[in-house]
Amino acid sequence: MNLYLNQIAAIIWKDFVTELKTRELLSAMFIFALLVILIFIFSINLSIVKASEVGPGILWVAFLFAGTIGLNRSFMLEKENGCLMGLMLVPADRTTIYFGKLISNFIFLSIMELFILPLFMVFFDIDLLAHLGPLLIVVFLGTLGFCALGTLLSSLSSNLKTREIMLPILLYPLLIPIVIGVVRMTSQLLEGIPLLDMVKWIGLTASFDIIYIGVSIMTIDQILEE
Amino acid sequence: MESYENALEVRHLRKAFGVLKAVDGIDFDLKRGEFLTVFGPNGAGKTTLIKILSGLTQPSSGSAKVAGFDVTEGNPEMRKEIGVISHATALYADLTPLENLMFFARMHGIAQPEDQALKVIDEVGLSQRRNDRVRTFSRGMLQRLSIARAILHDPKILFLDEPFTGLDLHASNILKEHLQRLHDRHRTILMTTHDISCGLEMCDKVALQVQGRFAFLENIGNVERDQFEAMYFDAVRDNQFIMEISIK
Repeated sequence: MNLYLNQIAAIIWKDFVTELKTRELLSAMFIFALLVILIFIFSINLSIVKASEVGPGILWVAFLFAGTIGLNRSFMLEKENGCLMGLMLVPADRTTIYFGKLISNFIFLSIMELFILPLFMVFFDIDLLAHLGPLLIVVFLGTLGFCALGTLLSSLSSNLKTREIMLPILLYPLLIPIVIGVVRMTSQLLEGIPLLDMVKWIGLTASFDIIYIGVSIMTIDQILEE
Repeated sequence: MESYENALEVRHLRKAFGVLKAVDGIDFDLKRGEFLTVFGPNGAGKTTLIKILSGLTQPSSGSAKVAGFDVTEGNPEMRKEIGVISHATALYADLTPLENLMFFARMHGIAQPEDQALKVIDEVGLSQRRNDRVRTFSRGMLQRLSIARAILHDPKILFLDEPFTGLDLHASNILKEHLQRLHDRHRTILMTTHDISCGLEMCDKVALQVQGRFAFLENIGNVERDQFEAMYFDAVRDNQFIMEISIK
């Protein structure tokens, strides 16, 4: 068990050292998410439309589109110079590769989200601080589901020539239940409804998180093999 | 002491990609500490053979045991026993040699990853460049670092897929010295190459793979170099002819 956790930690460490040196991933995701929010801000008249109604959708579109850039890069890093082959040759269970990449993706995406949330609050003039705790739980559930499925599908699409196109095509339809859940929960939170009144939505999102992680554990072996 | 007699046991091994038979009924044994060089024209299935033996791809039929483990079972214990050097370096370009090897050492569960990484970096003569990004390395240096990655966990069996490709004479000699040292340390080695002199110089057994089959397999003591060279060049020429016919 110790070795298993140490192997996962090694993959996360390697991804962080690479990101610290290149600074490509976080900056690209942040700029993309910021641009999405800015484009919507200039195209919506907030004196007519309620920010709490359109804001959650825009926020999650920004998170998911920017996150897709991160996912595309995640396994590209492993394909370069045949590094994935190197990983396949170490005496590790293949799920360590999946969990290592999943946690890296989750942390990178969460960091980007923590920078975007204050900007979203300023641009849409919404007080997120009043609902910060429950909002972070919703963001956690949504980001986890996105990364769980995204990591699996990015490992699958990394072998394809049209990987940049295939990942969103495969990912977005399967993400619909999670996206509906987190957008509805975010919207209701901004309207002042307590999180405990959204048990069904929490259940839906958490169930899909678990399903996607379970499916990934069962299929990652076959997907990583050529 | 290892519990297996033969480091490699290959029986009727086949691998097909659709109608293309990359490996077509290969049989051989390799004892512990033996060095087998496999020659063959491009497209003969040498890389596929190494991929099967290292557990990276599944055979279509037949069996192969590496260090006593069935390659089709994907046993992580088997991966402790093997080191692989392929066309790709399997090194992270933005990390330094030390960071790369520390990462792979941790993945192998080595107790002191930094000490072991520094030891093998020194062994392949890259101590001076241990903190430079791998992206800045020449082909020869990459190949040496690739060897360091492959021997990091002190494997008993090494698979080398055309390790001399793209190396200049100096880098080639350094690589030869490393391989000789590993052979002297009783490591079992299977190497594919197009370099006749390097390949014949170091090996105990020599094979010629043509269209997925071993057309020739013999102890080096029974091989006449001139005859083998002629046979190899014939195979390359015939293979080229077959490839041209297929394309037409």
